[in-house]
Amino acid sequence: MVTRLSGAICIDGVSKTEVRDLYLDGEMIRTELATHTRMDSEYKLGNHIVVAGGIDLHTHIGGGKVNIARLLLPDLVSHRNASSDRMVAEQPWLKPLSSPVPGTWETGRRYLEMGYTACFEPALLPANARHAHAEMADTPWLDTGGYLLLGNDRLLLEWIRDGVPQEQINAYVGWMVHAHQCCAVKVVNAGGIDAFKFNQRHLSVDDSHVHLGITPRQILNALSQAVDSLQLAHPLHVHCSNLGLAGNISATMATIDAVEGRRLHLTHAQFHCYGTDGPHGYSSAARELADRVNADQNLSIDVGQVQFGQTVTLSGDTMHQFANRKLARPRKAIFQDLECQAGCGVLPFRYRQDQYVHGLLWSIGLELFLRVEDPQRVFLTTDHPNGAPFTSYPHLIRLLMDYDYRMSIFSRLHPDVQKSSPLPSLTREYSLEEIVKMTRLGPAKALGLNNRGSLCDGKLADIVVYESGGNPEQMFSQPKMVFRRGQLVYRDGIFLADSIKSTVVSSIEIEPQMNAMLEKIWRTRYGYSTEMICVRTDELQSERRVVEAN
Amino acid sequence: MICPFCSLLCDADDLDQVCCRRRESSLVDVTKMRSWRASPNRDSESLPNAKNALRSATRILVTGRILSVQTARAAVAFSAKYNATIDCAERGHAFKNILAIQRSGLNSVSLSEARDHSDVLVVVGDDQLLAQVPRMPSALANENGDKRTVLLIGDFSEASMSIWREAGFDVWFVPCELNAVPTALAQWARWSDSNRDSLSIAGPLFEKLAQAPYTTVLWSAENLQIESADLWVERMLQWIATRNESTRCAALAWSSLDGTFLQVCTWLTGFPGRIVFQAGTPKYDPCRFSYREWLAQKNTTKKVKSVLVVIDESTSATPFLEACDLPADMHVIEVTANSKTFPTTMAGVEVAADMFRADQTLLARVEPSVEPRSDTKSAAHWLEALSEW
Ligand SMILES: [Zn+2]
Repeated sequence: MVTRLSGAICIDGVSKTEVRDLYLDGEMIRTELATHTRMDSEYKLGNHIVVAGGIDLHTHIGGGKVNIARLLLPDLVSHRNASSDRMVAEQPWLKPLSSPVPGTWETGRRYLEMGYTACFEPALLPANARHAHAEMADTPWLDTGGYLLLGNDRLLLEWIRDGVPQEQINAYVGWMVHAHQCCAVKVVNAGGIDAFKFNQRHLSVDDSHVHLGITPRQILNALSQAVDSLQLAHPLHVHCSNLGLAGNISATMATIDAVEGRRLHLTHAQFHCYGTDGPHGYSSAARELADRVNADQNLSIDVGQVQFGQTVTLSGDTMHQFANRKLARPRKAIFQDLECQAGCGVLPFRYRQDQYVHGLLWSIGLELFLRVEDPQRVFLTTDHPNGAPFTSYPHLIRLLMDYDYRMSIFSRLHPDVQKSSPLPSLTREYSLEEIVKMTRLGPAKALGLNNRGSLCDGKLADIVVYESGGNPEQMFSQPKMVFRRGQLVYRDGIFLADSIKSTVVSSIEIEPQMNAMLEKIWRTRYGYSTEMICVRTDELQSERRVVEAN
Repeated sequence: MICPFCSLLCDADDLDQVCCRRRESSLVDVTKMRSWRASPNRDSESLPNAKNALRSATRILVTGRILSVQTARAAVAFSAKYNATIDCAERGHAFKNILAIQRSGLNSVSLSEARDHSDVLVVVGDDQLLAQVPRMPSALANENGDKRTVLLIGDFSEASMSIWREAGFDVWFVPCELNAVPTALAQWARWSDSNRDSLSIAGPLFEKLAQAPYTTVLWSAENLQIESADLWVERMLQWIATRNESTRCAALAWSSLDGTFLQVCTWLTGFPGRIVFQAGTPKYDPCRFSYREWLAQKNTTKKVKSVLVVIDESTSATPFLEACDLPADMHVIEVTANSKTFPTTMAGVEVAADMFRADQTLLARVEPSVEPRSDTKSAAHWLEALSEW
């Protein structure tokens, strides 16, 4: 099957942005074909933009905490009514999700409707691995992958306390990533989730775990060494200590120092760059963090932008979710201590435009986007659903591309935010190329997905066609067409075909002696065999599903 | 080998010798196991007949015992296709916990965390708890060497206590009406502040409870045979939440094997079941869309054509339909072990199945240990065949 896309402006941040023809040959992109190649179909795309499929490298779409959030919050599901139908008819791009944590069918559909074709679940608890993969298998159209949550697994913490050789930790991390079919390593509040199980309510980077006596700095250092020595494509993916606390920028800087110059990705950085200045003792430290990122090629962030409205926050960071329990709206929350590995906290939350801190968070997120110079090292996320549901991405893109629009929202915020925020002085407007780099090329590079992220010859033919002109929010909410692996699956609001999905896993070799060692430990600690938790490759493979290595 | 006969999913090698559930199930003799279930003999129909009935139906209920991810997916997709009501919470047990959680949240702990880390276990219920999950005490016993305390509250016999003792626990027993347990716990909490005499519990035990750094409170929904069990659960959850203001305490709210269906239905649709699909969109109402409510509704006109789809891939000896009092004109499609048209394999016994341990944390791949009878197919296979147009 060969398809020609002709006359569209091709944008990928690699080649020059220009009008050129593109060929979809089977599953691949071809920039040229032998003359006389017969075309099975051709689309004339004058006045259209062609980009690669979007890649979301941090979105909570699978595993225990997402499902427990759904279970907790059936009351957030809004059914259609006359007024919502009218709104959708008038402004189809504003169609809200049925819930901040919709079911997998809706998640897959809505991501594809925005032109995203690959999404990564960033906090996959080892015990939840099979569950998370099963859930992602039920999320149609999207290629998926998971980052394994380590750094609160009591076994690793005890090993660090006992001073085992780093080689043993490397082998363990490799074994765990392999056994749970993940493609990266995530750490959430290093040691803090475990410390909370011992009733410790605060743990900064150089504080000691009340029971084990080790510090988050030691954990971060050990894990970043392991990630580098295993040559994982993605750097250690870190949710820093002191989530949401005023003055937490110092913990964030200490986290960067802890990995001693190795590669590092800081996730939902917006929630981790607060100072203590200003009228309410709570201020932006976005400049400090952005300067650090700009100066250090080994550092990348995703933002975790907040948008106003109802959502639900869900995180492995039980310690800080619990600390915020009284802020839950509606007033109910779930906290779980899980399997000597980690935990989770689920807290419904409403971000209000007229609230000082909430307005500040909104402006800090935008500050980060605007201050980090390289769009391939700052990624577009809302930490779905923590800052906002993923369907707000097109709105966020418009905020980045349009200064006047940004300021029109800024002018509605709490007066003290308007007085103290430097946002009005940041006049940068993202170009389309920069948005494309931030949502395609950058994440593909960060995850080692060498077969996607651009329109170069030989890349996977996950292609999105947008109509050009108009406001970017509308454009990015409504692609004209989406191709998955060369096949047209979506056109003008209609889903035409299902598609093959792949699970991205890391291709590391494991050390056999780890098997026997962990089998013994698992039996003693958990009371079951490692085989109970290992996810086999053939489980991930089915008729419409393949496995690929990053 | 992982055993799916109770909701614990243990994988000990000696299960055939030590697990009473497994011994009783005569796993070696599947014919005998199948004969446990008296066939209701309602389905002398063909696949085309069943499809015709489904297509012309005005109301459809999908219910039964769905134990695997594979069958749950197929059942929800089937229900979406036929705009059916679906409720697979057997006798509503799981909803005792779910309704309480949906009202006021949850502090919970998973099995292995409690096993490794909890100092005091408070186990609420009666002897039936160990009949349902016989290996629970050994699953919760750790090898850390320190003797831990289990406080049994409810109606436990000496036999139950000795099983906990043999598993290595220091056992205390407080007889108490199940209904009264939340009140008793609340009183003990107050006792720490004032009059220590009004307590029916031994002083040293109370001290243990008051000082425990991490208390796990365990109950099984199936074992809670009380009125308004969801309100009982809610009061327990509130007591646990309050304790967390100063120390650590969490519920190990055990469900049964139906937890797998609830998880899958939740991730596909956003709801744990008790939904009706309207134009493919699920609507949830845990009261209105329960299978009991559906069955209780009487057909008011001749135009209403009701079809009941019963799926059963369990090893249970009791047929699911036995307890139901069905009107004679109800069209019933059985996708069960003894169905004549749609004979179904047993999940995790005759066919590989992904099943959740009943703390809903661990999803295990349970490989079959017995060859399926040649005419049987998985429930998912039959459901797909029934929804092909
Ligand atoms: Zn996140």
